[in-house]
Amino acid sequence: MKNQALRKILGRLVRAFSVSFWVMFISFTIIRLTPGDPATARLGVEAGKAATDALRKQLKLDVNPIQQFFSYTNGLFHGDLGISLQTGRPVLDIVKSTLPVTLTLILLSTAAAVIISIPIGTYIGWSGKSSSVYAFRTLTSIILATPNFFIAMIGILFFSVRVNWAPVFGYTPQFPGNLKYLWLPVAVNTLIMTAVVSRVLSSSVLETKGEEFVETGIIRGVGRIRFFWFYILKPSLAPTVVLLSYMMGTMLGATVILETIFTLPGIGREMIGAVLTSDYPVVQGILLFFGFITVALSFTGDLIAFWLDRRVKI
Amino acid sequence: MTSNSLVSINELKIDVRITKSLRLKIVDSATFDVERGQILGLIGESGSGKTMLCRSLVGTLGRRGAYIAGGDLVFDGIDLITAKPSDWRDIRGKRIGYVPQSALAGPNPVMTIGAQLAEAIEQSENHDKDYIRKRSLELLEIVQIRRPEIVLKQYPYDLSGGMKQRVMIACAIAQQPSLIVADEPTTGLDVTVQAEIMDLLKRIRSEFSTSIILVSHDLPLINDVCDDIVVMHAGATVEKVSSAQVSHSLHPYTRALYSSRIDLVEPKGQLVTIKGQPPTVGQWPSGCRFADRCDFVVDSCRSASTVPLVSVAQDHMTACLRFDQIGK
Amino acid sequence: MNELTRKQRFKNWLALPGGWGILIGTIMFAAIVIMGIVIPLFGPFKPNAFVGDPSVAPSFKHPFGLDQLGRDVMSRTFASVWIDIGVSFFGVTIPLIIGTIIGILLGVTKIKIIRSVVSSIIDGINAFPLLVVAVAMLAFFGAGLKSVIIILSITNWARYARIARTRAVVVSQQNYIEAARTLGYSKSRIVIKHIAPNVSAESVAYALSDFIIVITVISGLSFLGLAARPPAAEWGSMIADGRAYLANGWWMVIFPGLALCWAAISLSFIVEGMSRRDRGNS
Repeated sequence: MKNQALRKILGRLVRAFSVSFWVMFISFTIIRLTPGDPATARLGVEAGKAATDALRKQLKLDVNPIQQFFSYTNGLFHGDLGISLQTGRPVLDIVKSTLPVTLTLILLSTAAAVIISIPIGTYIGWSGKSSSVYAFRTLTSIILATPNFFIAMIGILFFSVRVNWAPVFGYTPQFPGNLKYLWLPVAVNTLIMTAVVSRVLSSSVLETKGEEFVETGIIRGVGRIRFFWFYILKPSLAPTVVLLSYMMGTMLGATVILETIFTLPGIGREMIGAVLTSDYPVVQGILLFFGFITVALSFTGDLIAFWLDRRVKI
Repeated sequence: MTSNSLVSINELKIDVRITKSLRLKIVDSATFDVERGQILGLIGESGSGKTMLCRSLVGTLGRRGAYIAGGDLVFDGIDLITAKPSDWRDIRGKRIGYVPQSALAGPNPVMTIGAQLAEAIEQSENHDKDYIRKRSLELLEIVQIRRPEIVLKQYPYDLSGGMKQRVMIACAIAQQPSLIVADEPTTGLDVTVQAEIMDLLKRIRSEFSTSIILVSHDLPLINDVCDDIVVMHAGATVEKVSSAQVSHSLHPYTRALYSSRIDLVEPKGQLVTIKGQPPTVGQWPSGCRFADRCDFVVDSCRSASTVPLVSVAQDHMTACLRFDQIGK
Repeated sequence: MNELTRKQRFKNWLALPGGWGILIGTIMFAAIVIMGIVIPLFGPFKPNAFVGDPSVAPSFKHPFGLDQLGRDVMSRTFASVWIDIGVSFFGVTIPLIIGTIIGILLGVTKIKIIRSVVSSIIDGINAFPLLVVAVAMLAFFGAGLKSVIIILSITNWARYARIARTRAVVVSQQNYIEAARTLGYSKSRIVIKHIAPNVSAESVAYALSDFIIVITVISGLSFLGLAARPPAAEWGSMIADGRAYLANGWWMVIFPGLALCWAAISLSFIVEGMSRRDRGNS
């Protein structure tokens, strides 16, 4: 029923909002985990009372926690995420200027991984030969067990040290020029994502292959392309889409390391910088964005999966 | 083969490849004819080879690594054993419709009912949208689905098991085939729904004079619907008898299948079950394969090299060495 | 006789799905743990001792070469086993215990408000990628391995809680639990004796694959200079140190990296083998 589907989607939306609330709450609370007083922790005990008090006021730590939370959320709705202690720039500006680099990295690698995974995953799953499935699963589990920074190091060793194909330093934000700096980190991400996505896709295709309706499709003599989409790929795609949206979140986290290695001016490297300089508002703001983006990704992933296949529970 | 036969199966053998060198016999002697406009019940336990027999009629044995190893399989004058993929395209759907085993997994879960019906109607021809819609609604009416306009837009997930199976039947009759193969069409459905589906098949036969091969393990359920009953046991046809004569069957296995009915209207107080397990597929004993489970067994049943299917009356064939004693 | 049956039993075990994966994984894992004990204790070089010229390529005396400060890379690589596998062990078991207990209680509680609030907190924590939330919290806790263990304990439990909650709900609806209830067993007895053992099997299975994630997170944080600090020998920080010398000292990066992969891959072979065994296919 149309209404039933709509109700499910609404229910999922409500859950996304309630998770967003906790994301907000956690980002707000995290500064209070500091052993002792955050202001003293940053400035040191020798800083003097006047300076610590001023910082405490700037961090809005001078009022009671409930007031703090209200002013925090109120700020959020007006786009006020606080001000960097290090540079004095508004946190929102920092996010705005660094996020595009990170998103380019993630989206390029996701697109590449999907394009590569679909033929590999369907081929392995549909052929169903136990020897090739075995070899494929072993290979992908080796790739998945290898940390991204080590894969990146090997990439740098071959493409930056041996031959100068991928510069390790610098960046230009303009389109074709940035690919020179981006292709190697994108390749590293793509390798990892392809391993995950093709693995899940191949096992769902293998499952689909045994289903009764596939037989019906063959008997009906459905055309090749139609058969590939409606009888093989579409019924197998939902778990892959859900996983892909989750993986994009994980990859977003992994950019913290990747952007540091490749000195890309993205949000992950910005966060490491903020952590190392105890720039609390920047850390909080970026954490909040990471949380929101992951919630949005998983909501979108569930929705697409549901659109593809009504059997999916959302 | 009589002139009125639509399907003629003679000594059909089906093997399946397990490994490169290992072959397993699934069916090794299936023999029966299906006449035009007839509903034929194909009965047997799991492992008797009835599902593979169905698949040989729609040419999808290869998918499970099985193939026809011998015998004859003729449909409407066409030799199905040597049929090429292009021949199959003209046969499947158009001349032989198929209703799959499991109602729950039968329809494609990611396509609307309308899209699936359109596929079944269209096949290789190109009909315009209005025709397809009109025909889809007509088909849904035939299978007695209420509010067909709404159902067209729904996904299988939104339908009940019985509704799904009605849709599958609608798809099967879309091109008015002369034969419908229904492989256990009522598995997993409620008893009342099972009866409704049986009625529907019966009605389809009388309206379109379609032949139907109705596969089941439940002889009492289908006996009223069918004209003839073919009983399979361990890969071989053991009896063919008209449904009216089933109670006078001459094969102990058929008798056992028939008397295992639980009669709710008139309790007879006794429920006969068939003792023992059917022999493992491909590891059939020599002689009569039912010998180990038979009440009438004598030594000659086991020592015989084959048990031939012999004609014992008009339209009645049986494969039992002692049939003349059993009737008494 | 006894020897023979044991051999036969082992062969049968190996022939089951995933047998080879579990065997090879276990051998690989045991090998690196043994090397981690043997090399630092009995090896000729201390991990932090300066034993030669800086950046010397692998040789017979120093199979993994010397690093930029003239320390033996092999000793340092195997000394890292303690930190990486040891810290990861705590980073897995503490969340495992906390999360499983919370999850079980959540699964059996009748108080709706607690169930929905705690469940959505769990969803909230799980919304963040683990590495990101760990990095962010390190800003407030201060870098260091101890902080990492604390952080993993307060974040990673949520994943275990989610698994345990789902499982506890399923288990508590089983017939034998119903039977125990009708027999009038106390609630705590049912939870401890009947529900907990059935739930923990699944949590422990997840812990094994989580081990891989946690090793990666700890070495990743050390790579960023946020967990293990110099001069401690740790794979991630060794790779980070060697990064600047990649052009003429590849061994400083490759050997610790391979050791890290070795540990993670051995675990993933075990996980893969176990899941194949669960599914029961070949």
